[in-house]
Amino acid sequence: VSPTPAASSVAAAEAQVPLRLDVGRLGRWLAPVCAAVAICVAGIALSGFHKGFPASWVLGSGVPNWFDRLDSWVTTNQSSNFFLNTIIGGIGNVLGGATNDLVNGLHWLTWVGVLTLATLVAWIVGRWRTAVFAAVMVASFGILQIPNGGPNGISVMWGPAMTTLALMAVAILISTLIGIPLGIAAAVWTPVSKTIRPVLDVMQILPAFAYLVPIVVLFSIGNPAGIVATVIYAVPPLVRFTEVGIRTVRRDVIEAAEAFGATRMQILRDIQLPLAAQAIMLGLNQVIMMALSIVVIASLVGAGGLGDPVLQALQTQDLGMGAVAGVLIVFMAMWLDRTSAALGHRTSRRTGSRKPLTRRQLAALWGGALAVVLVAHYGLHLGDWPSGWGFSIVDQVTNAMNWVTTQLTGVSESLSSFLTLHVLNPLQAFLGDFPWWLLAALVGAVAWARGGPRRAILLVGCVALIGFMQAPVGYTFQQTTSYDFSAWDDAMLTLSLVIVALTLDLVIGVPLGIAAYRWRAVDNALRPILDFLQTLPAFVYLIPVVALFSVGNLAGVTAAFVYALPATVRATTLGLRAVQREVIEAGQSFGSTRWQLLRKVELPIARPYMTLAVNQTILLVMAEVVVAGLVGAGGLGLDVVTGFSRSEVGLGAAAGLAMVLMGVILDRLSQTGQLEGGQGQ
Amino acid sequence: MKNQRRSLRFPGGRPRVTAVAALLAVTAIAAVAIAATATGAAARTNGKPTITLATNSWEGSLANNVVAQYVIQKYLHYQVNLVTIDEIPAWTAMVQGKMSAVMEEWGHSAQYSQDINKTHKVVNAGLEGPNGNIGWYVPTYLMQKHPELKTWRGVKKDWKLFVTPQSSPQGQFLDGSPSYVTNDQALVKNLKMNYKVIFAGTEAAQLTEIETDYKQKKPVLFYWYTPQYQNQIYKFSQVQLPKWTKTCAKLKPAQINCAYPPYHLYKVMAATLPKTAPSVAKFLRRFNWTAQDQNQVASDLAVKHMSNAQAAAAFAKSHAALIKSWLSAKTPYTKVEPPAFGT
Repeated sequence: VSPTPAASSVAAAEAQVPLRLDVGRLGRWLAPVCAAVAICVAGIALSGFHKGFPASWVLGSGVPNWFDRLDSWVTTNQSSNFFLNTIIGGIGNVLGGATNDLVNGLHWLTWVGVLTLATLVAWIVGRWRTAVFAAVMVASFGILQIPNGGPNGISVMWGPAMTTLALMAVAILISTLIGIPLGIAAAVWTPVSKTIRPVLDVMQILPAFAYLVPIVVLFSIGNPAGIVATVIYAVPPLVRFTEVGIRTVRRDVIEAAEAFGATRMQILRDIQLPLAAQAIMLGLNQVIMMALSIVVIASLVGAGGLGDPVLQALQTQDLGMGAVAGVLIVFMAMWLDRTSAALGHRTSRRTGSRKPLTRRQLAALWGGALAVVLVAHYGLHLGDWPSGWGFSIVDQVTNAMNWVTTQLTGVSESLSSFLTLHVLNPLQAFLGDFPWWLLAALVGAVAWARGGPRRAILLVGCVALIGFMQAPVGYTFQQTTSYDFSAWDDAMLTLSLVIVALTLDLVIGVPLGIAAYRWRAVDNALRPILDFLQTLPAFVYLIPVVALFSVGNLAGVTAAFVYALPATVRATTLGLRAVQREVIEAGQSFGSTRWQLLRKVELPIARPYMTLAVNQTILLVMAEVVVAGLVGAGGLGLDVVTGFSRSEVGLGAAAGLAMVLMGVILDRLSQTGQLEGGQGQ
Repeated sequence: MKNQRRSLRFPGGRPRVTAVAALLAVTAIAAVAIAATATGAAARTNGKPTITLATNSWEGSLANNVVAQYVIQKYLHYQVNLVTIDEIPAWTAMVQGKMSAVMEEWGHSAQYSQDINKTHKVVNAGLEGPNGNIGWYVPTYLMQKHPELKTWRGVKKDWKLFVTPQSSPQGQFLDGSPSYVTNDQALVKNLKMNYKVIFAGTEAAQLTEIETDYKQKKPVLFYWYTPQYQNQIYKFSQVQLPKWTKTCAKLKPAQINCAYPPYHLYKVMAATLPKTAPSVAKFLRRFNWTAQDQNQVASDLAVKHMSNAQAAAAFAKSHAALIKSWLSAKTPYTKVEPPAFGT
């Protein structure tokens, strides 16, 4: 996760932050805080006779029912309706066909061909190190084997890796075709930007589990469903980066072009787009990372690939299998990340240590690669990676993980019961009893103080709407399952999980970020761990988390905490780095100690970044609330998981929407002033 | 115009050309590869459709599938793919013709009446053999220590035994994957028990929790079922819930107050399968084995870490006559109609 989309807004906010705290500012803060405390006290006093959200307040026949009816309309009209049958079905067939062709193509290239091409591309766009890294990562798909991990019991992961690669390639291509034009449109026409922003918010916060069932209904299982789910999740950052990239091209450059009589189209094509190229490449890089983070989700709808062994490992509680498959996904992410990042650097400036290749050299290289491919395929009759060339570390990993878990169980169990009994349960009880209108008032007051009356009205509306997501009492869901769903109560439970996970992230992440800023050694040691945690699919650590903390809310909090930690650490370090050298030197010349400097100068100046860190952490924790539902945490996460696994479209959609509303509230509350375009991932 | 455009170009333009060239070259090679394989791909399957079987999240489901896959590939010469998918999405996929069959169904009367009886997109493929049993269980060590746990009344009385930090101040009832057939929230409410139903979210999380408690001989009350190969590893005892009756079966889901019905596990397949792959459809109808057979294959896979092919081959070797009977046209097959298979 990169903070770049908000970099401009942070710069804007930074300009407003005075170096010392003036009294007027303090007063502006004190009033809302006092009001908030008063409202809380009133809430506790009044909660005796009015808890939560009235069960009888239902919109029409209930939001879940709307979606259930829509779903049954789609399923009954699917074969007769032109749009559903021809258009949607056609898109599905094209996507499925293209992916299958690409998978076959990758197999046809043979393992030698894929390895050669991956290395060559990395070398052309990057340096020697990029190329060697790419070669090692690609080779790991063959070398790190998982007994019985692939389809039909194969142990070489080359085939599943190629399936995932093809799926990613198609998903990334489609994301580019949609994301870049949309980003350009949003940058050129402000109404477009205003219209799509809430849509992008929904796409980013709505958990994939909530839209998997509709996708299966429309596209059936397999590759097309996997691609559609991936594109929905991965495209928003590209749109945002493109828009911000074009919008931040300096005015004077554009004015100069206008003075030369350039048309608007020319300015866009020849000035804004080239200058925004680096931002767009960064966006593309984000697309790749996000797409790879839902490989396992794509496997849930039958897309196959490297997500399958992760799911299979869950089924048999095979810790090692899940971990090794997760590592392979991380490796693929790192390979594509480094290569695309190198391409991004190339696009922006030519500071590479190597002289750029001439056209003739390039032609020779590609010709050579083609020759290698042809010889490998027709001459040597190679195919997938040979099964003898690799080994399995699954058993060793399983043993190691079991050993660690056993050693930690004593500590983790007492920690778990303490936190559950004395932090989570009381917080949950408190929030659960809180009258909805008092919470709305509280949110409104804070929103007013932070963003003015418009934001206050928006957020109060969101709070009320969460309650209205509920179904009427005694509603029987579409698939006639018995399940208690109270949108408000579940949202409050989820809120308690988010608060605890966020607190843990800040308490642990911010000091780690400061340490990484102060000491290079810490930074170097942390970087690979953070990279790893950021791309490791959460499904891999579900079982260890349960073994340590028992099924329940705390297991969910832990999963969310682990997932969001890298973003907290990174944003903190980045914010501190943004403090200008001269300011620090000025402080030093006044004889400040290192600690004084950090406390009095660096941290206050880095505050806008800290706000951003909090914002990012909240959104990531929200994203992980669904996974928390897979380890026994209740709330909206479990509702969405249940909606997916029972094909209850109404339940999944209503709970998903409640989650989106919650995400929007938390996001807007954690932003200062009128931040533009910075609702990051 | 042309000159003017050139003058506007920035030095950053050139490397962009390199990048685009690289992308184009990759696309070109990929296109060549696709063109070369497009013809080969169709020939490989000999014009026969690929059979897809749904693997659900319990190990028994995989055991059924690996044996079916082995038999279909070896004797009927169709390619078989196993697709990991949840139960209800598998029905959706069968309706759309993207899934050939599901080898083990528990209940699902709503889907049965919609997709089999009403739209005829899915057909009943007969009994699988084992009888399914869903219920409330405790570890046997706990039942021996507290014999009153044999019935739900004892469980109701002993709720304090099962209090955990998560469920506090109530007792904890540990449910598994929300995708499974459960009435537990309704049961707890309607039998007026002081329990909180905690969904583990996945069967894996539930089992991890049970294992952890089992190792420390702690009390735990949970939703469980047979056939399940884990029952050979752990000793669990069932709690008697109020007897299942036809009247209770007619209640709304939220009002259920009796035990789970007996399940006769059955198979279903896409309605198009008998036309597109007649021999496979005939085999699927006759596939029938016992819970013991399934447990053997499941534990070969999960405990002994055999590959799918190894486990299936081992089973086929020791059960040659059974496999022959699945392929013989003379073998009668049992069709089952609702509500015989349960709710």
